[in-house]
Amino acid sequence: MNPPTEISAQHDASAMRSVWLHRLAVLAVTLVWPLIWVGGLVTTYDAGMAVPDWPGTYGYNLFLYPISTWLSGPFDLFIEHGHRLLGAVVGMVAIALVAVAATRERRRWVIALAATILVAVILQGALGGVRVLLGDRTVAMIHGCFGPVVFVLCCVAAAVTSRSWWDRRWDGRAAADRKRPGRGVVSLATTVVVLSYVQLLLGAQLRHVQPTTTPGMFTLEVASHITGAFVLWALTPVLFLLVRRCGDLTLSRPAGWLIWFVGAQILLGTGTWIVNYGWPSVLAFLPFGEGFVVRSKGFIDSIIVTGHVAVGSLILATSAVVLLQVLRHRSLVARGAIGASRDADTEKLGDDRSSHENNVAVPV
Amino acid sequence: MFGSGRVGLARTSGVRQFIPLVARGPFGYACAMRIVVPVGLAIGCLWVAGCDAPVDHFPPNRVHALVVSASRQVDAELAAEDSLSVIDAWFGTPEQPRWPKDLLRGDAAQHLVDPDRLVRAAGRVYSDQENHHFGLYNEHCVTCHGVAGGGNGPASLLQNPYPRDFRAGVFKWKSTARSSKPTREDLLRILQHGAPGTAMPSFQTVAGEDLEALIDYVIFLSVRGEVERRLVDIAVDELGYEERRPDADASLLGVVSEAPQAADTDAADLAVAELNEVAGSWAEAPEEVVPVPDETPFDAASIERGRELFHGPIANCVGCHGPDGDGQAATLDYDDWTKEYTTRLAITPDDDDAVRPYRQAGALRPRQIHPRRLTSGVFRGGGDSQTLYRRLLVGIAGTPMPGVIVAQEPSATGLTAEQIWDLVHYIVSLSEQP
Repeated sequence: MNPPTEISAQHDASAMRSVWLHRLAVLAVTLVWPLIWVGGLVTTYDAGMAVPDWPGTYGYNLFLYPISTWLSGPFDLFIEHGHRLLGAVVGMVAIALVAVAATRERRRWVIALAATILVAVILQGALGGVRVLLGDRTVAMIHGCFGPVVFVLCCVAAAVTSRSWWDRRWDGRAAADRKRPGRGVVSLATTVVVLSYVQLLLGAQLRHVQPTTTPGMFTLEVASHITGAFVLWALTPVLFLLVRRCGDLTLSRPAGWLIWFVGAQILLGTGTWIVNYGWPSVLAFLPFGEGFVVRSKGFIDSIIVTGHVAVGSLILATSAVVLLQVLRHRSLVARGAIGASRDADTEKLGDDRSSHENNVAVPV
Repeated sequence: MFGSGRVGLARTSGVRQFIPLVARGPFGYACAMRIVVPVGLAIGCLWVAGCDAPVDHFPPNRVHALVVSASRQVDAELAAEDSLSVIDAWFGTPEQPRWPKDLLRGDAAQHLVDPDRLVRAAGRVYSDQENHHFGLYNEHCVTCHGVAGGGNGPASLLQNPYPRDFRAGVFKWKSTARSSKPTREDLLRILQHGAPGTAMPSFQTVAGEDLEALIDYVIFLSVRGEVERRLVDIAVDELGYEERRPDADASLLGVVSEAPQAADTDAADLAVAELNEVAGSWAEAPEEVVPVPDETPFDAASIERGRELFHGPIANCVGCHGPDGDGQAATLDYDDWTKEYTTRLAITPDDDDAVRPYRQAGALRPRQIHPRRLTSGVFRGGGDSQTLYRRLLVGIAGTPMPGVIVAQEPSATGLTAEQIWDLVHYIVSLSEQP
């Protein structure tokens, strides 16, 4: 591919990319993560049942509940109603995402992804409602486990609509110099994603523990959670080194973040245990642990616990995006994206519009 | 406005088209697996976690039943079963607890627990617009102390020391005599301040009325649990329970029978007497508060006298806490909750095979108790001088920490009040040393 052709291709790529779709996906990401924080705070404060009805709030329409009562009322009510309002905003963004995808996006699987996000957001809201109506902590746990899945979907949407996604697609010359990630990299990246989610599920089990859970089972879950954390931490540098060999910074950078995220998460997890159950025996050598007093629902303590929940979602999403990019990179290099013709590339990438659609003029 | 790519749209819809679309995507099965794997894992975890069904009944104290079986050489299974029937009838369920006011003698015992507060503390966790919280025990306590207050909640095994088992009716941190129950103020104090260095939190952020409800529930669980234990004891020791149920007059089932003559049986008399004795001990707790005389001057001379007593034969604190008060003396001892199913049954706590049946019945792994490291200045039940005085005077119930004999004059067997203050001053000085 000669330079003029490449420049032309870049222009065409930019033209096909919907900036607004990407902005909405990023907006969804920036809303869902705080939503996970607030949701985590709701659980930390046991405020899930601070509002007994759903979808309304104490008989009011969700959006018509008096602001003064909301802001000046009990903290539990404040965060639970706030969680619902923020969830509703995310729902609106998800609707807009689908609308824009339907009108501006040519890749069907991206449209399907946007639709999946909307369905997931609705399902997540419904799970929250069922949790309230049934007063069921197990449903609360499912609700808590599904939130990160929604977050991952939004992150994936942001990734596949981003400029770097398209740049990688059309940057043929650069791609030619890059190494194709092997199956080992894909397996490792997949393992990291799966392990991140398993960790999240185990954490949810510990957080939403049933009164009838036996001490042995709880201990087993804690041991698994700790072991899983260190296994995950050990895998992240390996993943980073492997993806770095691919020669793509947009790939290795998030893999590098993962090392820090998991490290921070282990610290947050330790903090979570300390503020919930006191100083662990394994840290008894530290001088300030002996007189440590656990404070029930202290603000800083709650932030530590909730931060642990939120960073768990961040790790899952980051690892999912790394996996996505690895697969993308592998796919592009394998098919020689690279010197292959744009039309062939478009066809193989699954942009499965009919050929006449591909020829529609693109307004710039 | 939407500055790019407008294309003609050919819509596909329906599940049949959507699923292959997702699976095909740009990456085929990997994409599908990212959905399938988490869902599978979630289902697996749910299977492990179980559903959030209401806890219908308080779990029985199987460990005590086994202890009775072993100590009396009698099968106490039937006794435990019938005792539980009586307890359930008297005290209700975790969702709907009851206070057997009608069976209790004396106003103090009848009003020991407020039924309304009991209901507030029990059941599911929720709150209202007025910030009234319900299900307080489930919100704050159950993960460690367990549904029946047995100190064997889900998180108990990972704590050191283990959470308190209320059912034995023995409490460490109190202002009353060693064998007495704590007062409400004692329980409130531990709830407000927590126990430093343990998992017992400070609930200072919890509203006062909520703490009162929790205190009621703790007393309720303790009375319920202790009566359950006692009923198993009397069923075997006095009513003649063995592998078969005794006659109707001695059967505990008659206690909960609706037959008019049921209340007149021997079993009913004994059971109600036990209930009243336990509830009465709680009602009398305020009268059992240990008086503390005025503190003597906290000076170098007092500290020096205290140091001599600490190392001397009467108090002999050094025997456990070590010459420097740093808890480094070699000791091998257990608390009473552990001894119940080990040493008192001639079982060595580290004999895994012998302990296994008790572990399977719900007992926690035997764990040594260690003397406090006094140089740290951390006192779990409170470190103020009055509390330390009482601690020295009556010891710590349920632990090897003994009390002392109070003498009016210095003697070879007891300590005077002044000498106890000297010891308090020396102990406080240990933590103030650089």
